[in-house]
Amino acid sequence: MIGLSHYLVLGALLFALGMAGIFLNRKNAIVLLMSIELILLAVNFNFIGFSTFMGDLAGQVFVFFILTVAAAESAIGLAIMVALFRNRNSIDVADLDTMKG
Amino acid sequence: MTLFIFYCFAAVLIFAATMVITARNPVHAAMYLVLAFFNSAALWIMAGAEFLGIVLVLVYVGAVMVLFLFVVMMLDINLEKLREGFVRHLYIGLPIAVVMVVQMLLVVGSGIMDPATLPSGDLPIPEDAGNTALLGSVLYTVYVYPFELAAVILLVAIIAAIMLTLRRREGTKHQDPGRQVKVRKEDRLRTVDLPRNQQSGSR
Amino acid sequence: MTTADAFETPDLMLALPEIWLLAMACLVLVVDLFSKDRDHTPAFWLTQFALVSTAVITINLQWGVDATTFSGTYVADDFGTILKVAALGLGFLGFAYSRDYMRDRGLLTGEFYMLSLFAMLGMLVTISAHNLLTLYLGVELMSLCFYALVAMDRDSPRASEAAMKYFVLGALASGMLLYGMSMLYGTTGSLDLATIREAAATLEDNRILFLFGLVFMVVGVAFKFGAVPFHMWVPDVYHGAPTPVTLMIATASKVAAVGLFLRLIGEGLEPLIADWQQMIVILAVLSLLVGNTVALVQTNIKRMLAYSTFNHMGFILMGLLAGAPGGYGAAVFYAVTYAMTVAAAFGVVLLLSQKNFEADQLTDFKGLNERSPLYAFIMLLLMISLTGIPGTVGFYAKWLVLKATVEAGFVWLAVLAVAGAVVGAFYYLRIVRLMYFDKPEGAGPQPSGSGGFRAVLTLNGLAVLALGIFPGALVAICMAAFAP
Repeated sequence: MIGLSHYLVLGALLFALGMAGIFLNRKNAIVLLMSIELILLAVNFNFIGFSTFMGDLAGQVFVFFILTVAAAESAIGLAIMVALFRNRNSIDVADLDTMKG
Repeated sequence: MTLFIFYCFAAVLIFAATMVITARNPVHAAMYLVLAFFNSAALWIMAGAEFLGIVLVLVYVGAVMVLFLFVVMMLDINLEKLREGFVRHLYIGLPIAVVMVVQMLLVVGSGIMDPATLPSGDLPIPEDAGNTALLGSVLYTVYVYPFELAAVILLVAIIAAIMLTLRRREGTKHQDPGRQVKVRKEDRLRTVDLPRNQQSGSR
Repeated sequence: MTTADAFETPDLMLALPEIWLLAMACLVLVVDLFSKDRDHTPAFWLTQFALVSTAVITINLQWGVDATTFSGTYVADDFGTILKVAALGLGFLGFAYSRDYMRDRGLLTGEFYMLSLFAMLGMLVTISAHNLLTLYLGVELMSLCFYALVAMDRDSPRASEAAMKYFVLGALASGMLLYGMSMLYGTTGSLDLATIREAAATLEDNRILFLFGLVFMVVGVAFKFGAVPFHMWVPDVYHGAPTPVTLMIATASKVAAVGLFLRLIGEGLEPLIADWQQMIVILAVLSLLVGNTVALVQTNIKRMLAYSTFNHMGFILMGLLAGAPGGYGAAVFYAVTYAMTVAAAFGVVLLLSQKNFEADQLTDFKGLNERSPLYAFIMLLLMISLTGIPGTVGFYAKWLVLKATVEAGFVWLAVLAVAGAVVGAFYYLRIVRLMYFDKPEGAGPQPSGSGGFRAVLTLNGLAVLALGIFPGALVAICMAAFAP
């Protein structure tokens, strides 16, 4: 039978992958945005796992809102990235060093 | 059997997520993310969250990932440059990730999370109701305030995205539907009275 | 606590401040669309009216009340009222100072007003949240507006760079916060902060998992605070963003961050104070150390204020970790007065800025006394208040926090903080020296700006002076809000 730990472990793995993605892809803003999506997906797995095993609906409601906010967030993130690309002709985040101090 | 199916979906999900963060090409990364979302949706449906699984496919695969792909293809990204430094970061990033995975697994997977010890929730799920109907019934009652806030967040996303990307350039060719609709026959068609006996001059 | 069947019609009057502000924000949206005014004058006045009227409504409806509505997702109480009115007032100052600056740079658009208003709404929602879900949505509403506002100057590479950093780290922080919230939900079975508090007091099973979630939440909150070591975004965002947006992030959003901390950790997790106190101590110590040392070498006043923010965040965190009513009251007093002082400091920077010229270098302040004795004097007041010299409001704030810290048994932390404040005096007083004793290089920037701007800035500066002389009333209000 599938246990709660299955969901939590899956969530933990996805969360770690998302974090690793942020550390590894310093040069590529678009994969950074995708890594953030992975992190939110991991959180959703936690909520759905708990919700199922507690027989409680609140967790699913929370996931519904996370999905909504994440969609809005990626729209704004992509818009910022387009603005960045127009200004610098690159989405290389490691290049971002005009400000020092 | 369900356990086997769970492991299949979970394995593909982890594989897809790994490929998202290591793929050479952003388009491939986006496609792998689509795969990850599909598998997650299947797993959520298995866990009884049918509505959320379907929403994940419709909204994420259908809209958000298309937006990602659209932006990737619109921007002329130099792929070679993006790969530099990946290996260098791998030496730092990989150990950190591994340590984090081990620690998190120790906590969440060590069996302390026995379902029997779980508290009972606020909104118990009745046996006989459909998932979508249940979510709908609480969204507009108990969670009406967060629901309105989500609407505001979407409005903000619209305003912000338009503010950051819309540029009115001079000289672009675009249609103005209002003017197209308002056009009348007299604006386009000019009737000219030509004198009848003038066949020689026109050639 | 509540199920769909036991649903009661929400008390809309209790939540009127948020509803009113939302309605006004939508009104600004529509009015600005049809207004032909190039300076967006109707939007400006409507925005200012919205902030003032919301503050009045908040005081009338929520001071002295302790009630929840919307099935427990919304709460109105005393300290929420203080923080909300402070945030609205800081927003008012921000708009009053920013008009000329934004117009000179072609950034004075309707979107600036709308997004800032929605950000204010997000702060109000965060401060009034009584449920993990509303808390998250409030924080996100505020953050999303700020990401976009930082990137508002679309032709500035620096602004979009700052926005990208802010966005990625902010989204990461939200992810952390959410992961922690999911653990809290799993171990207590509720999203409601009151239920979580009860469950936390009697927690036996799954305690490790609960604490695991707590760590993630503290990290997420620390990111939003800009506390060291989760501070990487702060200097770049302060530097890269248009100065009015920096002003909002430096003042109103800090007040909202205090609200987030008090609701989530102070109120929801109070039974576990022994567990989170240690984490906050580490954050406070690092903030005090890093803030001062790095601020010493800055030549850009926006970056200097960014690094000195860490020092003040350290003080606020000290007040918060003291936990007892006194500590929270001191932290709120510190946050409100600090934000007011910094708002005026950014106001002076905006006043000296001209078309195609940012007065954000320290050298721009050289000889300010000869050019404008009044604003040099106001800047002097602000700097000595930030230093914490006795007789200023900054001194009372620091003293209250130190008192609460010592009472909570962290004498060594108080000593460290005092040492930090002495180092801090060095870079604040350097500006005073530049203004009064140095000769300007060339002509130096003249104060510009409309009469209304100057009047509000002068009042703001004098309010800092007045609060330094008569701090009693505000201290009493802040302490009364947390009295058991």
